[in-house]
Amino acid sequence: METKSFIIIGIGIAVLIGLLAVFFASGDPDGLESTALVIQGDKTLTGDTPPNAEVKEDIPGRFSYESPLPDYTLGTEWGKPGEAIAIIAGVFLAFIAVFGASILATKLKKKNPPAREGL
Amino acid sequence: MHIPDAFIPITQGIVYWIIALVFIALALRWARKEMTEEKIPLVAVLAAGIFAIQAFNIPVTMGTSGHLVGGALVAIILGSPFAAVFILPMVLVIQGVVFGDGGITTMGANIINMGVIGGFVGFYSFRGLVTVTRNQSASIFLAACLACFIPALAAAVEMYFAGTFPLVPGLISMGLYHAAIGLIEGFITVAAVNLIATARPDVVSLPQAVSI
Repeated sequence: METKSFIIIGIGIAVLIGLLAVFFASGDPDGLESTALVIQGDKTLTGDTPPNAEVKEDIPGRFSYESPLPDYTLGTEWGKPGEAIAIIAGVFLAFIAVFGASILATKLKKKNPPAREGL
Repeated sequence: MHIPDAFIPITQGIVYWIIALVFIALALRWARKEMTEEKIPLVAVLAAGIFAIQAFNIPVTMGTSGHLVGGALVAIILGSPFAAVFILPMVLVIQGVVFGDGGITTMGANIINMGVIGGFVGFYSFRGLVTVTRNQSASIFLAACLACFIPALAAAVEMYFAGTFPLVPGLISMGLYHAAIGLIEGFITVAAVNLIATARPDVVSLPQAVSI
């Protein structure tokens, strides 16, 4: 497959997975959150998660950070379209960041080739 | 499996960051040596795909969901655990800084779990299994399962050191949930590796002369 086609199809699949995530991702907590709920006593190991169960993250002295697009959304007023935009933006951000870093790596190799031995 | 800021004290987070930075430096050295212009599109597309699959929480029963990690996929496809350490941190930084998925102070721990442990376990268990079984798909499946399961146990141990989870209940719970998630990771990794190897056999680093 040609490189251009590979990129287009690859990005297309990533966007499709992202859009599927917006509409079909499970609302249940993930493995780490479920474990936290089990430890808190809000969930049994193999039982369903109660609808009002919430992971306690408000621990004094621990760092806290507000991201610009929390939970892959543009804000509640944007609804599902906002989530789709956020996910697609993330897919392209990841592509561009790694593409750029990879190009930089090849340029550094040409400029200053690494020793033959090593990894 | 993205650990939020509240789950680990800042001092411990700094230690995980330092360890993660050492592996990132080694991964940059790998990239400088191994990265070719032909591989760049594959590496970047893998990053985009991993971002998407990590955002997709799939139900795994027991009131729990899980997403794929992708460390094994990257390491197997590109033929080095350092490929996972090269790609996963950039994805995790975007997830943490832009989308609040995973903490900032805990990002070092997340990089170690998903990038370093996921990549190394995925790569070396695949290479070991494929040497013994000569069956590529079965080896990829098991390696990807382990690359989801073992990082989850590592996270449980980190939570124990942080005073967030008690050790044994944390290991049991994290292990059980991520064993279930690992099965899904295994199936999807086999499909993805075979798909990419068919589309771009020229840039994929798989061992030769084994059955699919």
